[in-house]
Amino acid sequence: MKKTVLLLLIVLLLLPVGIFAGGQQESVDENSPITLEFWTHEDPNRDALENRYVEEFMAANPGVTINRVTHSSKKIFELVLTAFAANAGPDIFNMQIEQAYSYIINERVAPVDYDAIGYTGAQEMMDQYIDGSMDSVYMNGEVYGIPLELNNWAIYVNKRVFADAGLDAEKDYPRTWEEMADISEKLVLRNGEIITRRGFDFRYPYYLISMVPMVEQLGGQLVSDDGKTAIINDNAWIEFLTFMQEWGPNGRNLGSPTYNNARKLFNMDNNDMAMCLSGLYQAARIRSDNQEFYDSGDWMVIPFPTFENAVKDVANTFYGQYYMVNAQNTDREIEMAWKFTKYMMDHDEEYLKAVNIVPPTKSLMASETFKNMPYSQVFVDDLARAEVVYTAENGAKMEELVKEAVESVMLSGISPVQAHATLKAKAQELLDEM
Amino acid sequence: MTKKKNRPGRIDRKLARWGLIFVAPSIAFFSVFSFYPIGMAFYTSLFKKNLLSLKRPDFIGLKNYIYLFGSSDFWNSVEATFVFALGTFLPLLIASLMLAAFIMSISKARRFFQMAYYSPAVISSVVSAAIWLLIFDPRGLGNQWVNAILQTPGIDNRWLADSTMVRLSTMIVYFWKYIGYFVIIFISGLANIPRSMYEAAEIDGATGWAVFWKITFPLLKPTVVLVSIMSMLQCLKTFSTQYLFTQSGAPQGPINVITLNIYNTGIRDFRIGRASAMSIILFSIMLFFTWLQFRTSKSDEVNY
Repeated sequence: MKKTVLLLLIVLLLLPVGIFAGGQQESVDENSPITLEFWTHEDPNRDALENRYVEEFMAANPGVTINRVTHSSKKIFELVLTAFAANAGPDIFNMQIEQAYSYIINERVAPVDYDAIGYTGAQEMMDQYIDGSMDSVYMNGEVYGIPLELNNWAIYVNKRVFADAGLDAEKDYPRTWEEMADISEKLVLRNGEIITRRGFDFRYPYYLISMVPMVEQLGGQLVSDDGKTAIINDNAWIEFLTFMQEWGPNGRNLGSPTYNNARKLFNMDNNDMAMCLSGLYQAARIRSDNQEFYDSGDWMVIPFPTFENAVKDVANTFYGQYYMVNAQNTDREIEMAWKFTKYMMDHDEEYLKAVNIVPPTKSLMASETFKNMPYSQVFVDDLARAEVVYTAENGAKMEELVKEAVESVMLSGISPVQAHATLKAKAQELLDEM
Repeated sequence: MTKKKNRPGRIDRKLARWGLIFVAPSIAFFSVFSFYPIGMAFYTSLFKKNLLSLKRPDFIGLKNYIYLFGSSDFWNSVEATFVFALGTFLPLLIASLMLAAFIMSISKARRFFQMAYYSPAVISSVVSAAIWLLIFDPRGLGNQWVNAILQTPGIDNRWLADSTMVRLSTMIVYFWKYIGYFVIIFISGLANIPRSMYEAAEIDGATGWAVFWKITFPLLKPTVVLVSIMSMLQCLKTFSTQYLFTQSGAPQGPINVITLNIYNTGIRDFRIGRASAMSIILFSIMLFFTWLQFRTSKSDEVNY
């Protein structure tokens, strides 16, 4: 009896191994119908457009079925990751530049099939896009993604809030971070310690995108050029952390990571947010959230400020979303996936008009459509003085360390010197571990 | 002769076979959804494995465990987990017992109170955390209520910003969400105590306090053990509240519980080997406390 129980237990314990040990993709016959899973993040303005492209592409390519599935932009990263970890990743997906890097170096995405999409090679393809925009998806002579959008952020200003505080936005807008703090002081309204109207506030989850350039303006760097040393130029980091400490509730109390997202409040025009940091796409969101405010002309966009003692003129970093193709597919699936992706991105002007996102093709950036977008020139000028966001396999962890340092000075009463020392030690340990 | 005596009879064997057949589905279920993942997690914890990599992971033995035991980040997570578990589990246990006794003592509106206390338990953890995020907003109801009660207008209690307050905030959310669940379990435990015990105590002239400590509490002990184990395990496994709070700007350090650290290490940093080692350590901690609670509860069992 005991033997029977033991045998049964062994069988049952081994059962899952048999069930879950699979994961290899089946090979697909050259002429058999194929189905491509296409995962992307939610964007109502993009849905209608891309659903139409899916229909058109399937009509032109009988035997190809494309399932377009949308996921929340906060969740898509982990959904794609866990799907890939189980060897069941989508055939086509889009990924932010900082995250795309890991997929490339781990050989989870296929290089572009240049023949299939009408290019002779990587160089001809890259020549279609503005300088720097393909750097993060170009590795060992191959391109691994087609850009859906390229973003850089500038400052959106609500002229009505400025007027309410007795300021003229056209003249009084901040050029430097010091002015940003002083003008915010004039714009802010409080009920005791609680801020009821903010002048400006940062986009706190995005420390690499918008705060590292502030350090760079002061001469600092996140990682040295050779990639071996972390947190370069102690004084620059301490000065930046001191500025953030002053910004927070323990300093001048101008903003905090725990207040509501600034750009959502901005769109509502409820006299509670005077300035926010966002990309060109924000204009479409203002239009969709508050048509009256969009049409009023009472908002404008100004360049990313610099510190008064800046040693480097750097704007907010740029980042992008890239369409990528799963490498664990048959050649035919990969070819069709790239063909479909190229088909979508051939409509770059339509993406700009309907969704206000900028596929960074040279032709689009030079087009009248782009030039006529409100304040597009501000973004172009800032892009010229911007660098690409830090991309590395440890990027997310590095961002967490910067977040920890900024929050510790803003919220936990840690001194900038101490926060910097902790950041430097942890960031170096992270680099050494790679 | 002796050997023959020790062999189970035909009926025993038949009963045992049926018993085996009946438990087989449960064994299969736990094999697939519990034993296999635990085994795999332990196996994975012995490797340096990148979640995205297709390359064969390097076998590193116990190095992930050695790293973790020397990591200040991991010890901070252990501290955050225990602070949360102790700060939530004990009040949860005491308050749910008191509320259950209160509900059992009233004759009117008993159902209403049961439903009212239980309702947060049916809301998903993510939704409840989202509700409390609105309450803890500097301009939210949290500050308004506290300032109205304490007559301190304009004070920002920094529910999500201050290191101590953010810990307290996560405890409040958990307490609010799970208290009704444990109240219901205590109520069912209280309902199983025979009325005759109370009647006898009444005849003997026992006071209410004496009745509670001499009759109710000892007879409720199996339920207390059940609730304490369940609530403690729930607290050690806490994740969604801390995750959502940190996503909304709260500082991570004070509430970086082990589960959150596992998630960040595995999903964000792709270090699934190290994350697996952390999950095995957490599993061992939970196993130890469950054993300890069973052991201490058995030492002074009461029967009437």
